[in-house]
Amino acid sequence: MTLPSPASQPRGKALRLHLALARIWASDQRIRGWFTSSNNNDIGSLFLIVATSFFVIGGILAMLIRAQLATPDSAFMEPQVYNQIFTMHGTVMMFLFAIPFFEAMSMLLLPGMLGTRDMAFPRLGAYGLWVYIFGGSAVIIAMLMGLAPDGGWFMYPPLSSAAFSPGIGADVWLLGITSIEVSAIATAIEVIVTVLRYRAAGMSLSRMPIFAWYILVVSVMILTAFPPMILGSLLLEVERALNWPFFQVENGGDPLLWQHLFWLFGHPEVYIIFLPAAGMIATILPVMARTNLLGYGWVVAAAVSLAVLSFGLWVHHMFTTGIPHMGLAFFSAASTLVAVPTSVMIFSWIGTLWKGRARMGLPMLWIMGFFATFVIGGLTGVMLAVVPFNWQVHDTHFVVAHLHYVLIGGYVFPMIAAIYYFMPLLTGRTRFFKLGEVAFWLVVPSFHITFLSVHMAGLLGQRRRTWTYDADQGWTALNLVASIASFVMAIGFALTILDVAVNAFVAVRGRRNPWGAGTLEWAGAIPSPAYGFASIPIVQGRYPLHDDPDLALHIARGEGYLGDASRIRRETLIVSTARGEPLQVVVLPGNSVLPFLLAVVTSTSFLAPLFDAYIVAGLALVAVVALALVWAWGLGGRVDEGHVDAGHGAMLPLASECRDPPGWWGSVFLLLADGVHFGSLLFGYAFLWTVAPNWPPHSYLQPQLWAVIVALTGALALTAGPRLAVRAIAKGGTAWPAITLGIVGSLALAIAAASVMLDRPGPARHAYDATLWLLAGHVGLHTILSAIMLCYLAARVAAGYASPARIGEAGIVKLWADFTVATGLVALAAAWLPGAFA
Amino acid sequence: MLTCALAIFFFVMALIFAALYRPPNPSVCGRNESGTRVWIWGLGVGFPLVTLAALTAYGLFIGERLLPREAPDLVTVQAQARQWAWTFRYGEDRAIATDGVLHIPAGRPVNVEITSTDVIHSFWVPRLAGKLDAIPGHVNVLRIEAALPGTYGGQSAEFSGRGYREHVFTVEAHDAASWATFLAEGTQ
Amino acid sequence: MIDILRLSLPITVWLAGFSAVYALQGLSCSRHWPADLDARQVLLAAYAVAIVLQLIALLAVLYAPSKARFVQTTATVLAATALGAAVWTLMPVLATSVCL
Repeated sequence: MTLPSPASQPRGKALRLHLALARIWASDQRIRGWFTSSNNNDIGSLFLIVATSFFVIGGILAMLIRAQLATPDSAFMEPQVYNQIFTMHGTVMMFLFAIPFFEAMSMLLLPGMLGTRDMAFPRLGAYGLWVYIFGGSAVIIAMLMGLAPDGGWFMYPPLSSAAFSPGIGADVWLLGITSIEVSAIATAIEVIVTVLRYRAAGMSLSRMPIFAWYILVVSVMILTAFPPMILGSLLLEVERALNWPFFQVENGGDPLLWQHLFWLFGHPEVYIIFLPAAGMIATILPVMARTNLLGYGWVVAAAVSLAVLSFGLWVHHMFTTGIPHMGLAFFSAASTLVAVPTSVMIFSWIGTLWKGRARMGLPMLWIMGFFATFVIGGLTGVMLAVVPFNWQVHDTHFVVAHLHYVLIGGYVFPMIAAIYYFMPLLTGRTRFFKLGEVAFWLVVPSFHITFLSVHMAGLLGQRRRTWTYDADQGWTALNLVASIASFVMAIGFALTILDVAVNAFVAVRGRRNPWGAGTLEWAGAIPSPAYGFASIPIVQGRYPLHDDPDLALHIARGEGYLGDASRIRRETLIVSTARGEPLQVVVLPGNSVLPFLLAVVTSTSFLAPLFDAYIVAGLALVAVVALALVWAWGLGGRVDEGHVDAGHGAMLPLASECRDPPGWWGSVFLLLADGVHFGSLLFGYAFLWTVAPNWPPHSYLQPQLWAVIVALTGALALTAGPRLAVRAIAKGGTAWPAITLGIVGSLALAIAAASVMLDRPGPARHAYDATLWLLAGHVGLHTILSAIMLCYLAARVAAGYASPARIGEAGIVKLWADFTVATGLVALAAAWLPGAFA
Repeated sequence: MLTCALAIFFFVMALIFAALYRPPNPSVCGRNESGTRVWIWGLGVGFPLVTLAALTAYGLFIGERLLPREAPDLVTVQAQARQWAWTFRYGEDRAIATDGVLHIPAGRPVNVEITSTDVIHSFWVPRLAGKLDAIPGHVNVLRIEAALPGTYGGQSAEFSGRGYREHVFTVEAHDAASWATFLAEGTQ
Repeated sequence: MIDILRLSLPITVWLAGFSAVYALQGLSCSRHWPADLDARQVLLAAYAVAIVLQLIALLAVLYAPSKARFVQTTATVLAATALGAAVWTLMPVLATSVCL
């Protein structure tokens, strides 16, 4: 452990504080510690190692593909095997490597950058990790058993429907990937609340490190882009399992619905992958150029507009599906427009280089590799946005080469730069063995040889996903060159991983802040201790370490906020979102095996349907609810503490005694994702109504007056109940009558939803009926959730966990109830209106 | 397009290398205010906007010309895809059918009505037009025109499972006389 | 929270407007569209409405400024971007064929 070692100052205070905090924040040192730790360093490291393992697996699959394509008429693999291999290569790289890898990096780095001690919801982070490990492993194990999906990573129905893909391959994909998306959503919520609320004192939005902006934007994108995909997977899975015909034309479905839902996710996904890497470049490049980022505000604006614009591009993956030309033109124009914010970023970085004095070094080398590669990927991307050009090269190797330029050049290279740049921080060691340079010169040139050849093969008409080709088609030489170079590239990547691993374990101890960076992650001890900062820093600018070179010392001596460990619990500071003023003191939960257990039962509920073990899945779902309640019950307290001393004379309330505790913020963003999911369902309904060939159905559902009245009354009760309960608790009065009112309201809404199902038995008859069942199911699920939450609230009140101060939980329940009412009424209206007007 | 792309690429690379290896005296672009003006406004916003506006407009103009509009001597044929074969039908009542070979008259615009009976496929004759998907339940219309009589290679261009690679067809473009013969023989 | 909305709302309005015009265009080519209604004119009207909405969003940001200078500048840039994006991405309404 490298302690701050100023020459003349007394060390005693810093050391005492370090020992006290280390004891409070320590994870269990036994083996079981791996399963109970929720510390961001532990979770992040595990995340990183697992994601890298999946990268290796995906890379091996890529090598198998190139081996197959190296020669014409290859007998290396049969088409059945080849189809599984390329499907899994795409799936593993996109879902099991790219997203988890940057999540890992943000877990490791974000608290340090923001000047806080841990992520906002440490246990949620642990839960996300384990769900990801289980889901990812299940997908890999299925592949090793020869049960992998083989319909391509975008799984277009009807090819992926039960009729054309019998067997469980497609189900593995749908359920495994969905569980990983659940994990990504959990992490995204954690990141958003951390960035918005958990920062150093005085860190206003304009003083946030640029990476925090990028990762904030990306996390909001995850919450809005993944729900359409989750809905798509749900629709396809129920079609496969229960024959609800969402994508079957003859029964009112439409296969194009899948493509819309998939690319509503799939296009933003590209930017979800690119933006964290861009955030890394914007962090690293100015430091390596010994200057500050040029046009910080412009880069923030570019990141936000890029994020939103990327949601208006999804149809450009569907240019050949027969959409009218005006529709294509909208998306063509939008697709070229995203090049503008991208170019703002690129030129801001080049301008930064001009402004400063660049020094080389491995991180910088990889960033140069990024420029040389990503610019080409961006330019071919603009070409693909041109409709007539797209009509020719769509689904050829040109597209394959383009996406590898964007993803490897725009993501993998900057992330390797980030690994090398942050290695002194993460491992406490400076690089000693210089294998990395060799690896770089193996990877980047061979990457370009590989994928320039693939571009050419595509322009010469080689289709993607064909398992082999004939010698007389003229692609032999190009493919052989691509394959050979790709093997060199693979060796280079292997050397990089080896270099990082060797240096992480055996290189020499390094000094603090070797690059001379100005941001807070370099102000703590290295490697970062479990508690992060001995006290919460106070910052006055964007680069606090440049403003105050002795900042690390002040932090270590406990001269920031909360520099007093006497309350013996994991405390950190919550600040106001915009201006960064200290607002609350939050107590983070300690080590627990609950996240691991909850992940086990969650994954069971996802994976059991693969083996038709629906009873097991149902039981697991009950266990999920039960464990979640146990988890929640363990938080909070039974007595009001009042304001506590946060240092610097600030007396701050505990977060659990505020109206907007972190859980409330987390709920807001979870409900955002839930709302997007619901919106996607409405979109699917409207889409089928507008374009599906076999519509309208034989008849529309006729609303019944009693059901409408029950629904409206229930909605009223569910709106009023939680409000009255909050008011009662705030006044110290009796809350149970109001809570009961809410429960009755949610049950009434559930009955109204059930009436929709009862009126239209047989969701397998027509996509309309199936959609009605899903709408009603949405209402049913949320009313049940609301009822459970209200019961839980009643129990908490009875057990003394609520008081006029400790009212946050009641507010959270109110939030969920309001969401249930709002979406419930919309869902029922959507179900009833066509019948009322028909 | 390729030339422009290459030019832009080398321009950007030149800027980077100039930044890395320029003499240490800070240039005009070094100061923050003017730096923002040059880098963000000039190169970041202005440069791509101008290039992209031109490119998009050009692409849409070309796209408009390729659309299946009304034409005087238009021929309409039907292309029906399934795993892994193509059936083409001709004539008023679609009475003539061929498997694996699409017959068209050369020098006349042809509308191909594309559909599928099972999974999604895509109709692609690289030398005649771009590709258009064959989607069950939908009929997509693609305009093709062969300038000269001859044989053109065609293939499906949407992954469709095991037999995807072999899912190919040919287009036979006839001169006026042999097109008449083809139609006459087919109706018998 | 209000500052977050200042930053995110105008450009989200663009997304909503863009999607709505695209949906309208899809509807205009579907079986539900009344035969006597000129799709182009409806789309042009929708284009105008989308631009007006962006203008309102921009003015709202300008006339209800944030206390934080950084937020205000960035929000203005984003609102202007959203306006530009609306004008640019929906421009095809002026020229391209509607349902071919």
